[in-house]
Amino acid sequence: MRRAFSTMGTMASIALPDAWASEITELQRIFRAIDERYSLYLPDSELSMIASGRTLLADASATLLASYARALEWRSATGGNFSPHRPDGTIDLNGIVKAEAIEQAGEYLTAVGCPQWSVNVGGDILVSPTGGATPATASAAPLVPRVMRAGIAEPLSPTELLCSLKLRHPRRAIATSGSAQRGDHIWRAGSTGPVSFIQVSVVANDIVTADVLATTIVAGGEEVLDEVTDRWDVDVITVDRSGALRTTPGLLRALSPTA
Amino acid sequence: MRTRAILGSILASTSVLIVGYQAGVSVTMSDGTSLSLPVDAATNGTTGSTSGGTSTSTDGSGTETGSTGSSTPSTGTSTEGPAASGPTDGTYTGSSVSTRFGNVQVAVTIAAGSITDVTALQLTDDDGRSIQISNRAAPILRSEVLSSQSARVSNVSGATYTTDAYLTSLQSALDQAGV
Amino acid sequence: MTTQAHPRASAQRDRKAVRTRPASGADYRRTFARRARRSDLMVMALWASGAAAAALFLASGGATQFSSLAESITSVGILAGLIGTDSILVMLVLAARIPVIDRTIGHDRAIAVHRSLGKPALYLLLGHGALLLVGYGMAVGINPIAEIGPMLSLPDMPLAFIGLGLMIAVVVSSLVAVRRRFSYEGWHLIHLLSYVSVAFALPHQLSVGGVLADGSLQRVYWIALYVIALGSIVTFRFAEPLVSSLRHRMRVAAVTEIAPGVTTIQLAGNDLRTLGASGGQFFIWRFWTPRTWWHSHPISLSAMPTASSARITVRNLGAGSAQLTTIPVGTRVSIEGPYGLFSDAARTSPKLTIIAAGIGVTPVRALLEQSSFAPGEATILLRASAVDETYHWDEIRAIATAKGATCYSMVGHRPHGVDSWMTAADYERGVTLQSAFPDLADSDVFLCGPTAWLDLIEADVHASGIRPHQIHAERFDW
Repeated sequence: MRRAFSTMGTMASIALPDAWASEITELQRIFRAIDERYSLYLPDSELSMIASGRTLLADASATLLASYARALEWRSATGGNFSPHRPDGTIDLNGIVKAEAIEQAGEYLTAVGCPQWSVNVGGDILVSPTGGATPATASAAPLVPRVMRAGIAEPLSPTELLCSLKLRHPRRAIATSGSAQRGDHIWRAGSTGPVSFIQVSVVANDIVTADVLATTIVAGGEEVLDEVTDRWDVDVITVDRSGALRTTPGLLRALSPTA
Repeated sequence: MRTRAILGSILASTSVLIVGYQAGVSVTMSDGTSLSLPVDAATNGTTGSTSGGTSTSTDGSGTETGSTGSSTPSTGTSTEGPAASGPTDGTYTGSSVSTRFGNVQVAVTIAAGSITDVTALQLTDDDGRSIQISNRAAPILRSEVLSSQSARVSNVSGATYTTDAYLTSLQSALDQAGV
Repeated sequence: MTTQAHPRASAQRDRKAVRTRPASGADYRRTFARRARRSDLMVMALWASGAAAAALFLASGGATQFSSLAESITSVGILAGLIGTDSILVMLVLAARIPVIDRTIGHDRAIAVHRSLGKPALYLLLGHGALLLVGYGMAVGINPIAEIGPMLSLPDMPLAFIGLGLMIAVVVSSLVAVRRRFSYEGWHLIHLLSYVSVAFALPHQLSVGGVLADGSLQRVYWIALYVIALGSIVTFRFAEPLVSSLRHRMRVAAVTEIAPGVTTIQLAGNDLRTLGASGGQFFIWRFWTPRTWWHSHPISLSAMPTASSARITVRNLGAGSAQLTTIPVGTRVSIEGPYGLFSDAARTSPKLTIIAAGIGVTPVRALLEQSSFAPGEATILLRASAVDETYHWDEIRAIATAKGATCYSMVGHRPHGVDSWMTAADYERGVTLQSAFPDLADSDVFLCGPTAWLDLIEADVHASGIRPHQIHAERFDW
């Protein structure tokens, strides 16, 4: 079964086996909790309270501080190309909390033993480890594990597919970042020139890495692309302003239509 | 007795050097037999530049020194005399050679007696530095993604959708189809 | 079979059985042939190890790496490093006092070869560094000095540079001109830095050395070399002497002046016959008093040890040996050894000729006690400048009488203005080696005495035409 609902300012689309349909409620609760804490569009969210100065960062909840710390680690790791700070200094954790929400949803589904699932929030996708170590429960109907295939939208006409690829364990997370649809949450370190890439998709072993690095590459451009592929174990496909493509060897292999 | 020592030393040293030299120039064929690849004049440039390429790319960074030595045997750039009867056409896999940064293994395709393709099978896999050699994003043609465009997908990834954009998106179509 | 008035040492470490009769000429020739073969094999191993170092390079495809000038220079640099390090490891093995090497060529000859390898090894290592800086720099288009920076950024390279610096210090301090300025102990302390140098160089060889890549046979061989070299040092230079000293627990029992400036030190200990010393061999002694513990002295035994006692005789030659004469009774003693080929084990011929002068009688006294020969087969000549240098002569004469050896003595000063080892009187009488020793050609000639005199008689013996392997000279100056 597949359920779609709006959350965190975008749409979530969750696919679960029919027997596990009831878990949707819990997932919706997870997303709602995160939205209520981090949305800068809700004036009473914890992050808004901090942004307006009504709450001190030092008094923030442990959860928020943990997410903030994680965002700061990524800021160091990417040399500022990914940053949770807006130019005016406001802490905007939008770039990381969506991925964290997906991550938590995935952890929950794995913990309750759901054998096969996919979570897609706003174009960032995490799938269950196919053929992997999800704990088998006696009541689960045996499913034939199949390799999930994800498509990547064509940046300038999202009703068409640019390509599709296999999401085979361990590469089970894909995140796409782009400037074609004006993602305002990409704060580029000190640069106001035109971006090199209009869309970047990163396939990684976990969704936070995929999401952060996709943002990083869009923000930093060509030289950052090479640095990212050098330092992290990820696959990337980029689309530049003229529509030309670049892929890592692993991604090229994953494109193959044969399973 | 001293003469015996001198002669024995010369003999022992020469044998050791010959064994070492032989070990360095033989290439193992994929079926396990040993072969010294003759390289004809036409492909000399190609293979020469392959090994030369490895040397300069690592030396260019000024930091990976001395690690290229062990990768040359697989490409068989040593000339072992005239190619009287060349190897039969096909693809030959070189032995996996250890370098500081991991294993290197290349396969060579022979057609009509000359080398037509050199493929890297393993280009190192330990630590971040070696991923540098193997995982760069390279340009590809649109035609290379063409066949994957029509495959069945269960999800679509795109830059952040607003709710409105979603309604016109492919994902929406998938959801309606109940995939 | 000759009866012995003195106790003989029981079976030694390197003998299979106690000899009940003097060995025949054929026996000696056989033993010598075996020793010569071992010696030749060692020489071959030395050169082959250098070739093997070069072969490691070839086995990594090195023969093809001479395609450009930069690559050729780099390849030669790599070869220099491999062969140079191999030389250093060989030097360590030579200095490790391995028993089989001592039994084959003698410790003093091993040290002589060690010394002769020092400068070439250093030149190879310096060449290694310089050529690689030039070669790698050329490949990238920068000058060698600028290449130092990038090279230092490689893993383990700073350590390697330091190691090379230490090795330069070690070799320079060992040059004859420089060594003279140090006391032996001071020089030796600097020399110990060579271990540090070798250890500091190893990491870069294993991490950035392309020839010694992970998982290759070359790496296995290289590590095995290090294990052998360092293992030999630890075993034979440190562990074995320590065990021996603890086991025998030697102490000073008596210190007696037997002639002006000459002292015998009687030592007491346990199981001294199992020390395995042959007559004529020496030990390296360390006396544990606050003033003398850091000096080590190579001194020959001047008599074969009994189960519980041993004796050495020392002459007052300088500050170090002077202190030995005032060692209190009961001082603990530690030993390293036995070393040396100045013994019956080096015999190659049926007859024996022994010529000793002054303090040189000490190893000769022990050698005579143990040597096997039939009556009439041994001739001894004792030389002294004055009567007060004739210590131990009484004991030697007694042994000679008991064993049926002929014993001559020569007391007096050298002739003026002539380089001769004889006394002026005998020189004028026309005594020559041949006249004193008619059987010289069939003999092993054992010579021991002060260096200046020893040089003269050794030259004379060489000039008489006997083969070099028959001449055994014990020098006290290394």
